Amino acid sequence: MQLEKFTYDNRIVRNFGIATLVWGIIGMTVGLLVAMQLFKPAMNMGSQYTTFGRIRPLHTNAVIFAFVGNAIFMGVYYSLQRLLKARMFSDTLSKIHFWGWQLIILSAVITLPLGFTTSHEYAELEWPIDIAITLIWVVFGINMFGTIIKRREHHLYVAIWFYIATFVTIAVLHIVNSFELPVSFMKSYYLYAGVQDALVQWWYGHNAVAFFLTTPYLGMMYYFLPKMAGRPVYSYKLSILHFWSLIFIYIWAGPHHLLYTSLPGWAQSLGVAFSIMLIAPSWGGMINGLLTLRGAWDKVREDVTLKFMVVALTAYGMATFEGPMLSLKQINGVAHFTDWIVAHVHVGALGWNGFLTFGILYWLIPRIYKTELYSKKLAGFHFWIGTLGILFYAIPMYWAGFTQGLMWKEFTAEGLLKYPNFLATTLQIIPMHVLRSIGGTLYLAGVIVMTYNLAKTMLGAKLVANEAAEAMPLPKIVVDSSPADKAWHRVLERKPMKFMVLSLIIILIGGMVEMMPTFTIQSNVPTIASVKPYTALELQGRDLYIREGCVNCHSQTVRPFRSETERYGEYSKAGEFVYDHPFLWGSKRTGPDLHRVGGKYSDAWHYNHLVDPTSMSPGSIMPPYPWLIEQKLDINTTASKIRAMQTLGVPYPEGYDKQANEDLKIQAEKIAADLKQNNIKVKSDREIVAIIAYLQRLGTDIKANKETIPSNQ
Amino acid sequence: MFNQIKDLAGGEIYLVTSLLMFMLFFVIVGVYLFKLSKNHIKTMSEIPFQDHKTKPYEED
Repeated sequence: MQLEKFTYDNRIVRNFGIATLVWGIIGMTVGLLVAMQLFKPAMNMGSQYTTFGRIRPLHTNAVIFAFVGNAIFMGVYYSLQRLLKARMFSDTLSKIHFWGWQLIILSAVITLPLGFTTSHEYAELEWPIDIAITLIWVVFGINMFGTIIKRREHHLYVAIWFYIATFVTIAVLHIVNSFELPVSFMKSYYLYAGVQDALVQWWYGHNAVAFFLTTPYLGMMYYFLPKMAGRPVYSYKLSILHFWSLIFIYIWAGPHHLLYTSLPGWAQSLGVAFSIMLIAPSWGGMINGLLTLRGAWDKVREDVTLKFMVVALTAYGMATFEGPMLSLKQINGVAHFTDWIVAHVHVGALGWNGFLTFGILYWLIPRIYKTELYSKKLAGFHFWIGTLGILFYAIPMYWAGFTQGLMWKEFTAEGLLKYPNFLATTLQIIPMHVLRSIGGTLYLAGVIVMTYNLAKTMLGAKLVANEAAEAMPLPKIVVDSSPADKAWHRVLERKPMKFMVLSLIIILIGGMVEMMPTFTIQSNVPTIASVKPYTALELQGRDLYIREGCVNCHSQTVRPFRSETERYGEYSKAGEFVYDHPFLWGSKRTGPDLHRVGGKYSDAWHYNHLVDPTSMSPGSIMPPYPWLIEQKLDINTTASKIRAMQTLGVPYPEGYDKQANEDLKIQAEKIAADLKQNNIKVKSDREIVAIIAYLQRLGTDIKANKETIPSNQ
Repeated sequence: MFNQIKDLAGGEIYLVTSLLMFMLFFVIVGVYLFKLSKNHIKTMSEIPFQDHKTKPYEED
């Protein structure tokens, strides 16, 4: 057999690298902007398109799918070719993948500020973009598996298992969490409602963290860290155990995002149990990474790329220890809905994802340009300013989280809430939010310095677009050298398709065990007879609530704590959400919970509060929504929305779609008349009227209930 | 806490199967790891270095 000569495609690696830098700066800048709006709402520049509720999803999507996404593809395209000793399967597919992914991100940059959102966190993009994501993901899959098939290396190295698991699981997560019924070009309703929708969303949300922010990065860690340290991974056995147990256990842990909600108690407990178990495989990965540096710690002092890797692994270890702790109900009761979660997420994002990406960029860019890094000094500066940035970000956020979580729960000796006004707990932590944005600025400054450093590196040399390599081709039929070589995993390492199917089965088990009972057993969601579908006006108002991203700051689920029932009212029941496509429980309380807000204040209060929140709540950091008075409610969509809801099983009477707008106008007139009595002149066809109608309906149905509601806890 | 499982007709089988699948998974992985040969482990962990010919620009 003859040695084959071929080349590695470095251009595609470089392109994804540049995209990582560009989107990283954009995503983090938007993050800084939203962070500043949390202490100075005027930073929205008075525009609806740059207001917190709409651009917070832009920040999360940009940093997750644009910054981290492009970094994943950069790392995968570089390491996959070398681990398989083959050029990528198709240069055309590589290009389609690259440009397709950038176009998807661009469409997010356009549609999210315009208010086109499904409201599912980290899955906000509307259905046409969901389809585009699916297609591009398939292109990536074909390109990856094509490369695996034409490889010149028998065995698939552990990094590639992580890439395969990423590909398969993200495909499943994305498809299941995108079952939407299109209403119009950029509007859809989820097929699931209420509790079930919540379970699907957080199964997705949690595993997006697992399979987009963790497994591909672990794969990259297993390739790049040994390369940087110049020694093989500490324990290959541990990597096998770590891989299979990680993908098997992670998929079950989603319900820990829904503790104390109306999700059935058994599903919550299952989520907690698996979250605790998750410490073992997560730390297996961290330990394996850190111990790879055994005997090479002297290099860490010298080599800035290794410094980034060490901090990344440490942050990974901290975040994956903290995550299971946060899933304990007692801790979750205080931490959930507060800045503690924001701190937790950012230790993972800034430390693990960010620093690992930077380490790889500093290592990889000079190599594909056959040159030295422009300035090691600047890279060292980046390391320190980035580390400081993480500390300045995380510590104030932890402080804010503990403070607010405890203030919400504090009672006086007389048994009354010590801080009955929610705003008091918000104002208390404003200094922490200021400090957090300083942390963010430092971190972003580091990224800009890195971009300059890498740009100088690239401009000072020429890209080795096609790097020459040579390897022996694989014989057509693999004959095992010894019978003992038939161990199943060794066989599996040579059979990528079987490997993929097995990973698929492993990840499906957890999701199915949790979801099937919730979807199929009636008693899991006890119905409440007095809960009725939304009126046409309320439904339109609800869609405006979704468009403005209110869910980013206001939850709609009252937990069964005395501190919450005192503050908000009766705790939320599963049966109250059966017509909620999608659910709007939220995950953060920057403002108070709104599930029982209906009937609590007058229409006039809501009007004044929406137009100028500080007029009703002095010091409020909620942005004003003046455009809701200026903009006319689009009632052309009512009929199609009612029909869509009917298709989803919401019991509107037959033919109601034709009558809906009549009812809508009557209800709107009534609200406008009520406002007029309070000297507020507003036309009944304005958006604000619809959103007031929705807010006044929230959580009121249950008050008409005469029967006992069975507990599902 | 587990009230609703009383309503699960044949629910015990569902639960016991879930638990068994979970156990079985770790037993299989455990047995496999135990039986792995040292040679194979060595070969696998050295895959990233097979293309490695130190080039001048790689030396720090």
